[in-house]
Amino acid sequence: MFTVKPLRWLRCCLLLLACFIATVNADESSNRWSIKGFGSFGGAGLDTGRVGFLRNRTQMDPVDNSWGVTTDSRLGVQFDVDVTEAVHATVQWIARDHAGDFFEQNLEWAFIRWRPLDNMDIRIGRMGLDTFLLSDYREVGYAYVWMRPPHEFYANIPLSHFDGIDFAQKFAVDDSFLTLKLQAGYSYSQMQTGLGLFSIKAPIAGVNIVYESGDWRMRAGYSYMHFLSDVPAQDLVNAVNDPALAPVYPSAADLSPDLSLKGSDLHFMSVGTAYDDGVWLAQAEASYMETDNSYVVDTVSAYLSVGRRFSEFTVYGLYGLSFSFNDQVDIPAPLVPAPSLLALQQGLDQALNYNSIDQQSFSLGVRWDFYSNIAFKAQWTHFWFGERGAALWAQDEPGNIPREVNLWSLGVDFVF
Amino acid sequence: MMKTIAKYLSFCLLASPLLLQAEIVVITHIENSVSVISKTEIQSIFMGRTRAFANGIKAVPYDFSVMRGQFYPLLTKRSVRQIDAYWARIVFSGQGMPPVQLTSAKYILSAVQENKGAIAYIDRDSIKGSKVRVLFSLE
Repeated sequence: MFTVKPLRWLRCCLLLLACFIATVNADESSNRWSIKGFGSFGGAGLDTGRVGFLRNRTQMDPVDNSWGVTTDSRLGVQFDVDVTEAVHATVQWIARDHAGDFFEQNLEWAFIRWRPLDNMDIRIGRMGLDTFLLSDYREVGYAYVWMRPPHEFYANIPLSHFDGIDFAQKFAVDDSFLTLKLQAGYSYSQMQTGLGLFSIKAPIAGVNIVYESGDWRMRAGYSYMHFLSDVPAQDLVNAVNDPALAPVYPSAADLSPDLSLKGSDLHFMSVGTAYDDGVWLAQAEASYMETDNSYVVDTVSAYLSVGRRFSEFTVYGLYGLSFSFNDQVDIPAPLVPAPSLLALQQGLDQALNYNSIDQQSFSLGVRWDFYSNIAFKAQWTHFWFGERGAALWAQDEPGNIPREVNLWSLGVDFVF
Repeated sequence: MMKTIAKYLSFCLLASPLLLQAEIVVITHIENSVSVISKTEIQSIFMGRTRAFANGIKAVPYDFSVMRGQFYPLLTKRSVRQIDAYWARIVFSGQGMPPVQLTSAKYILSAVQENKGAIAYIDRDSIKGSKVRVLFSLE
């Protein structure tokens, strides 16, 4: 199942590259092309071994009290070409820690943009889902001040791209700009869950409005997705539906519908604003995610960051919070307390009742632009967890989480 | 002899922070009919937010690599490093490309003379005798 899409995409890419080469050869003078890249090399560590930090839900290798470089290191390469005056193509690939297919999932963009009018863009291919302020550049550390995107807001989002089409129209209002963007397509994104690798297959659509005026940037957006694939809970589904179970654990089969994600809808609403006057910078975002199942739970997230530049140094503070609103699923006890049945009860509890998020954090950090196109960053973050609130973290033993955690990180971000 | 010394002096000036006091002018093609342009409009063009002049001509901005360090703080109150971080966001989110960077006044002048929509910046002394239209002066 997993190999079909990657192969298709590999073929698409090769086709796209062939197109580029053909057009470059056809008319060398009118083409402007470039190869650019970005990267980060960072190390991070916690003061506990009970949970593991992940930058977001697509990552596989957490860091804990033995420091690691997987969460904050990456290298991206982007190829751009103006095929004609109005047609531009972009391919971006990032080497990073990502669940699933290394080549396919890390192919971040592969799109053709047609600009029929100066203020109108139509893109087809693989592109970013424009639902956040950092939508399309979450991986480009050099483009923002923090060590990584605010955890409470960005870690829960397993999608970075989709395959489809988008349309953007920009309106100039005096010296300000209003951009309206519509997106639609299909997302194939892989993420790590407590149950194993989950391959999301989902049609996706969204609308996004951005207003830029002087030092301000504001946006609001809504996105919708519909899950066509299921979490890897088939073993549990089979277990609860096993006819042999009925006499000893009759109520287990009632949980069968709860174990499925397929067919669910997800609604994501968000607003954000960013301010930068050259000396002071501030940014805030808030989102609400609504679903109707036990795996992806209703969650509200927000953050506020304020920073100030002192020549090549930028000092910042960041506060974030994320809470989910799901009800506990009542997991009934088996009639016979046999070890295998108790293990099933525990398995059901872990699958359904540890998906909630209850965390807050405060960070202090510094960015030092010590050389052209390279920045050094250091950040300290203190996290607070509520009970069972560490769904964004790697947990060896679900529920056995500390109430507070410190995370230290150091790194460099660069572009070339 | 005097000419050589003058040349040498002007080179020293170029390379020194004293040039912060030099007058930078924003120029376009002599036949570009745009005559009035605001600082904000220039900023929008160089930051990739606007892709055309008010008269509809497609704007093609050029960066003068020697003078970027003086031009952007005057235009935007931001350092070149901040401008580079801004372009990292625009480029790697697939929204656009930064202006092409040219390395000498000669290249800047010929680019502006060749393309009707070209817009670039240069120190005023370098345009003497060149057929270009001065749109704005930054000091």
